[in-house]
Amino acid sequence: MTSIITLVIIAAVFFWLISAYNRLISLKGQTANAFKQIDVQLKRRHDLIPNLINAVKGAMQFEKDTLEAVISARNTAVSAAAGATPETLSGMASAEGSLTSALGRFLAVVEAYPDLKATANVGQLQEELSSTENRVSFARQAYNDTATAYNVSQSQFPMVLVAGLAKSAQVELWELAEESERAVPAVDLSLN
Amino acid sequence: MGACRRIGKSRPGSRSLPELKRPADSVATLFDLQEKNRRKTRLIVLCFVVFFIWLGLGLDLSLYYLKGSSKNAGNLSRQNISATQNSTPDNAELRAPAKQRKPFYPVYAAVVGLAGAIAAWWSMSNASETVLKTMMAKPADKTGGADEQTLVNVVEEMCIAAGLAPPSVWIIPDDDPNALATGLEDGDYHIAVTRGLLAVLTRDELQAVVAHEIAHLKNGDTRLMTSLAVLVGMTALISEFVARVRFSNSRAGSVSDNIDVDTDDIRIGALIFVLWLVSILVAPTATRLMALMVSREREYLADASSAQFTRNPEALASALAKIAQAAGPTQLVAPASAMLCIASPASADLSWRENWFATHPPIRKRIGRLKSMGAPDGFQNTVRMHF
Repeated sequence: MTSIITLVIIAAVFFWLISAYNRLISLKGQTANAFKQIDVQLKRRHDLIPNLINAVKGAMQFEKDTLEAVISARNTAVSAAAGATPETLSGMASAEGSLTSALGRFLAVVEAYPDLKATANVGQLQEELSSTENRVSFARQAYNDTATAYNVSQSQFPMVLVAGLAKSAQVELWELAEESERAVPAVDLSLN
Repeated sequence: MGACRRIGKSRPGSRSLPELKRPADSVATLFDLQEKNRRKTRLIVLCFVVFFIWLGLGLDLSLYYLKGSSKNAGNLSRQNISATQNSTPDNAELRAPAKQRKPFYPVYAAVVGLAGAIAAWWSMSNASETVLKTMMAKPADKTGGADEQTLVNVVEEMCIAAGLAPPSVWIIPDDDPNALATGLEDGDYHIAVTRGLLAVLTRDELQAVVAHEIAHLKNGDTRLMTSLAVLVGMTALISEFVARVRFSNSRAGSVSDNIDVDTDDIRIGALIFVLWLVSILVAPTATRLMALMVSREREYLADASSAQFTRNPEALASALAKIAQAAGPTQLVAPASAMLCIASPASADLSWRENWFATHPPIRKRIGRLKSMGAPDGFQNTVRMHF
């Protein structure tokens, strides 16, 4: 009788091990996938910026600083994104952070040019860009949610016992890298 | 509603609510809820299948016992029927050839079960197409104007937030603001919104509404709701059908014609018949009420998931308020698809009380819950409430 009970317990533990291991592996996969999603959206953003700059360049000659800031931030971000992995996250995050704040300033400036905004093409591009910004944010949010779930479940007892077996390690969250990114861009409308 | 105001509003707006600090918890909870929902769908379908079989089998059994050896049963059983007590046909056959009685053929069970299964399968596999067709929905196109561009973008954004492959996006030519999601499985997911919705809502509010619909898809609600809608319709149909069969049959050869039927058999037959009759009469209403209860429950969950995806429960609250204000009924949405919409298409329900026959909880109650999510620490309390 006792041997049967022992067998049952061993079998139960064994099945728990398998399911816990599988859960960790699946979370790991989801985290990697969510990270790839950010990548996809960042690529989209990088591709879109030149179009937008070209569309407004003529009308915004005297905002040269803003345009150049966006362009250089974009180029830095593109090179940071090349061959990015979850390990090199912080460098990438800070490059994207500067790009986000440069874009924020840029869009705020565009808002001050009603004629420019009225052009259908610019309006469309602007919608695309705001959508891209949202996509980046949401991809980041999804990554952070998934990564947090992964981090929490691999450090909770009794999952923590299996974590070594599944080669689980805590992953970094994507945080706002710069103070400047937290600030809402200031718009000076007194120029017009 | 300038594009720049959109970004200005939506980005800091949606991102400045980090107080909703329960991502890990919510992800785990959502996964569990999805799994639970999947099990629930299977269970409900199973219950309906059993029920359909009972609708046929009950008729078979009651006819069998009530008529015993009716005229068409032949001479053999006519001689033997009085010797037979209430034993199952198999037993009777085993015991002795003398006690043999008319063999039991579950004709109606087979017919009803098969017809029900085929009809249910057919209407389920065509469900989303039918729904979209009756609403005269047209596919939304990114090049089709600013509104449609925004809609397609918003849907894709929310899919990223939810981790779902983008569904197809449709526009319903109706001026009343409403939205719905439909589809049984990945690859067959659709989201449709009315023109009125695009006209009335800001980008943030549209995002919240779309997030609600995406949540329905992600949580498997559309699968559950479509199955329920189809099965409830099927129940009504089958009840009607078997009731007709029963009554036409009873005219053809009523119980009183058979003098040599066993009284025990009559009792059993009558009991089964009464049970069966009650279930036929009650079934359509009971299944509808159950479906509606499930539907109202899912709405609260989708609202909560929308808040999780957008991190902006206030936007959904104000969108719901706008939808409620435009109180006109959505004409193009058939009542059968009401469960799939964001708000009841019939008319806005502005009371606080839960109505047993409503597809949706009262809008005020939903707004109340969303507002309490927006409040710091409020989210934690409200998201747990679902079962």
